Amino acid sequence: MARRELQILAALAAGLVVLPAVLLWGGLTYTTAVECVLLAMAGLGLNVLLGQTGLVSFGHGAWFGIGAYAVGIFQLRYFPDSAVVPLLLALAFVIAGAVLIGALVLRRRGVYFSLLTLAFSALCFTVAFRWTALTGGENGMGGIERRSVLGLSLDDSLNFYAGVALVGFVVAAFLLRLAGSPFGQVLAAIRENETRARFLGYPVRRYKLLAFVISAGVTGLAGGLSVLNHRIASAESLSVVFSGELLAIVLIGGMRSYAGPIFGALFFVLFREYLSMYTENWLLYFGLVFVGFILFTPQGLAGIGRRLWRLAVPERERAAAMAQRTVPAEPAPFPDFLQDGEGSALECAGVGKRFGGIAAVDEVSLRVAAPGVHVLIGPNGAGKTSLFNLLSGMFAPDHGSVRFGGRELAGASPSTVCTAGVARSFQITNLFKGLTVYDNLRLAVMARDPHRYSLLRRVDTLGQTAARTGELIRYLGVQGMEQAGAEDLSYGGQRLVDMGLAIGTAPRLLLLDEPLAGLAAAERDRIGKLIRHIGDHIGVLLVEHDVDRVFAIGDRITVMNQGRVLLEGGADEVRGDARVREIYIGSGSQALASRVHPAQVSQELALRVSGIEAYYGKSHILSGIGFGAHRGEVVAVLGRNGAGKSTLLKSLIGLARLGAGEIEIAGQRVRVPVPEAMARLGIAFVPQGRRLFPGLTVRDNLMLGRLRRRGRNGEAWSDERIFEVFPRLRERQDVNAELLSGGEQQMVAIARALAGHVRVLLLDEPFEGLSPAMTEEVFNAILRLKGQVTILIVDHNLDLTLALSDTAVVLDRGRISHHGPALPLLQDLALRREKLWV
Amino acid sequence: MGSEFVFVLEQVANGLLLGFYYLLIALGLSIIFSLGGIVNLAHGAMYAVGAYLMVFVAQHASYGVAFVASPLIVALLGMAIERLFLRRFYRADPALGLLFTFGLAMVVEQGLRMTFGASPLQFAIPDFARGMLSAGDFMYPTYRAGVLGVALAALAATWWLLHRTPFGKVVRAGINDPDMVRALGISLAPVLTAVCGIGIGLAGLAGALLAPITGVHPAMGQEILTAAFVVVVIGGLGSFWGVVVAAMLVGVIRGLTAYFYPPASEASLYLLMLIILLVRPRGLMGERMERLE
Repeated sequence: MARRELQILAALAAGLVVLPAVLLWGGLTYTTAVECVLLAMAGLGLNVLLGQTGLVSFGHGAWFGIGAYAVGIFQLRYFPDSAVVPLLLALAFVIAGAVLIGALVLRRRGVYFSLLTLAFSALCFTVAFRWTALTGGENGMGGIERRSVLGLSLDDSLNFYAGVALVGFVVAAFLLRLAGSPFGQVLAAIRENETRARFLGYPVRRYKLLAFVISAGVTGLAGGLSVLNHRIASAESLSVVFSGELLAIVLIGGMRSYAGPIFGALFFVLFREYLSMYTENWLLYFGLVFVGFILFTPQGLAGIGRRLWRLAVPERERAAAMAQRTVPAEPAPFPDFLQDGEGSALECAGVGKRFGGIAAVDEVSLRVAAPGVHVLIGPNGAGKTSLFNLLSGMFAPDHGSVRFGGRELAGASPSTVCTAGVARSFQITNLFKGLTVYDNLRLAVMARDPHRYSLLRRVDTLGQTAARTGELIRYLGVQGMEQAGAEDLSYGGQRLVDMGLAIGTAPRLLLLDEPLAGLAAAERDRIGKLIRHIGDHIGVLLVEHDVDRVFAIGDRITVMNQGRVLLEGGADEVRGDARVREIYIGSGSQALASRVHPAQVSQELALRVSGIEAYYGKSHILSGIGFGAHRGEVVAVLGRNGAGKSTLLKSLIGLARLGAGEIEIAGQRVRVPVPEAMARLGIAFVPQGRRLFPGLTVRDNLMLGRLRRRGRNGEAWSDERIFEVFPRLRERQDVNAELLSGGEQQMVAIARALAGHVRVLLLDEPFEGLSPAMTEEVFNAILRLKGQVTILIVDHNLDLTLALSDTAVVLDRGRISHHGPALPLLQDLALRREKLWV
Repeated sequence: MGSEFVFVLEQVANGLLLGFYYLLIALGLSIIFSLGGIVNLAHGAMYAVGAYLMVFVAQHASYGVAFVASPLIVALLGMAIERLFLRRFYRADPALGLLFTFGLAMVVEQGLRMTFGASPLQFAIPDFARGMLSAGDFMYPTYRAGVLGVALAALAATWWLLHRTPFGKVVRAGINDPDMVRALGISLAPVLTAVCGIGIGLAGLAGALLAPITGVHPAMGQEILTAAFVVVVIGGLGSFWGVVVAAMLVGVIRGLTAYFYPPASEASLYLLMLIILLVRPRGLMGERMERLE
């Protein structure tokens, strides 16, 4: 028993002893005291689902009522002389019912789960109300007696209270231990990030079901005792009003605190008893208090208490979470518990997956040897992430096989894949944000612990897990920050912990999805070395865009393009291969270059950006970006994947966060771009993937593009002018957008942007996913726009992009590495290689 | 016509009436749910407010004034609620939004109880609408036919608003891709307010229309709410016609079971919802909305 647990239990015991005395002194009765204890119990039960697991159950009153009626029915019909036997039977009945209902209801998540609980509760209420023969209908079920236990009559109020208090204490102690058990930790993980919990190998559904059953059981027990308290069971306890009261009790008390529901129940009972002396509308005022808490202090009374405590006892500064980190000079030795992956190769053969009509992955065969670092590279849309998702169990492939360690893993669920020994990290940081670094890493390690389902052990007593977590922390180099909240870490720290979560599950093969994305140079170095070190022991497959580093740390490299494998080999082989260079930087074919005509570029600036620091979440993508675009100029924004090209366009339209910097357009200087305002200032955005509105016609899409962007010195394009550039759209005006071909959709997306006031047109990957014929049509259309509209264009097809452009801005890892005319880059492949390749 | 056939026809007509009654409430709920992502558990309470306002205003002015004023007042209340409260929950933990509207429902219901008392209020059908309409052997109460007519008109108006006006197109685009709508310079905040006003106003209209038929009591909102959710879930989010078909289906099923086996009529609804949510959570015609899962 930990000291803190003992303290809480002692306080609880003291409270239970003192409660009746206090209430009696306040003019209330033992019955009220019992009710207080029982509501607290029901609240604690509900909180297992609500606060701990994050599942909002609207129908918890149903379990309370079922428990009550069950006790009534068992006593009146079968065991009239006992209270204990009906109680135990009722508990068994509730548990059985909860297993059945839980199995059904937990198949859905989020809002649908909550609606299902609402429906279930309404169903129970109707049954209780209408099935008069069984339940007494509207009149309820009376005549229930408390009887006696061990010779003591429960009709004596004090005896009964003592009995209930004892039961309450035991239940509370059980739930306290539950919160601190491995099971409780996993519930918290599910609440914070259910997907990641699955990818760590936890069978999430089983945990949720057990939580559901425990929650229902505790609440049902409270209901059963309640019917003994009042000696009558009524449909009221099954009503929505009562469920609402339970939710209010938990929320007002504090969802995230163990003792919250206890405070909530006390508050509720006192509020009701005292206010109902003055007005019969006490429930209205209680409702107002409830709503007030949600609006202003959703952390509840416990949250208020915590804040007051912190004012009185200031906490040690956690701000410098990273500063406390003691970075070791040498990487720590490879942790023992991470098995060496000798002989566990991943073989994937003929794997394919189509999304809609497009083959994201097309007949890919790949072998990841273990140990060793195998890198997957390729341009945007090559299918790398899709392949990754297929290997890690996020999707099932349409065909093909994925074998690992003698097992077929294609189509297996994420948790199965992880327990088989293949773990993955995520490109977009996917941590348990509300938990500490230590808790995060321990969860990963605990996924292999035989005691991970335990309800009754304290998680601190899992020696093996604790030792391994310590080893992992030292290995990652995050000592000193274990107690920091994962949310408070810097971006680099979060990426490290994300990788740590994958490593902690002791995989035999590690899948890392862009582990270096968005990191500063020093961190890239460190993590690159860590990956190399890991690769010496187990197999690692990583997707990465930082091509320099890929060649430095990779043993074998697979290059993908358009869903297929282009080439596989060692670093030198791949680096020197002409085909690989071509897919990244184009071939400089002459036909297109000959169409380039010098454009009329005025001296006047249409757009100027300076000092831009842009972020994607916490990831610092762009740094110190400054350049200008002249009226009528076409500027190509180039660079390798992850360099920040799309982010630059998105920050101009206000869809990415600016940390610092200024955008100057139409004589206005904007520091905090907001999409609506930027659009009205003349930023016309054509996003990656088109993003037309389905269910609306071409005409409608154009109308929406024009609706709020008329502009004062209207540079909006009329329909006539648009159809001159895109004649195809004239006949298709009344066709629904989603029925058009890819090329036509791209035209509509550009037309939609032009339909309103346009000062600067942003084209993000306009040629992506288009057939050669359509690519040419779109290219010609954009060529017609050249000179008439200022354009910023991002596309990984360098031949086309450079042919269209006057100027090129090259981004490398978030900074501008080159800014000059486009023509030299178009014509001179050696220059292109120098600026854009390795 | 055989009298049995006429009889069944009457039951079906009643079922359809019930269906329209559900539709008025479910439609608003569905639009608010699709666009804002908020499950408005206070929708039933607003329906009750519409009914109570009807009774109250009709006592002090004429039926006609009450009929126009009640839905309008409820619509304005809806807009105020969105502007002041619901707005805070769009990007917050969905649990809080759910809990808030649940609490709001509680407050409104108790408020009605306090203001008007707990016992049901009688509200008589206005004189001009009493009597029966007949077509051969088939007789139908005039008032109910009137309710059907108004409901149809409201439905048509809502359809027209959503499919033929720029506002409606903004709403439909916003349901699908709110960021892109903003990138076209269209601010969604006033649209959301208007949508809540319309959705909640429709619920108020239903309350005003049905006051004479169902009786007026503080808990009337709760009963209708679950039925409305059954309709929305069966019909599917983001689909106008899905909700219409589902409402008719639910209405007729409810009407027929209420006649042939009354104790099971309410239960049948919840069972239907349970089954649909398990087998096809998207509903008959809805879109998959990942942010709600």
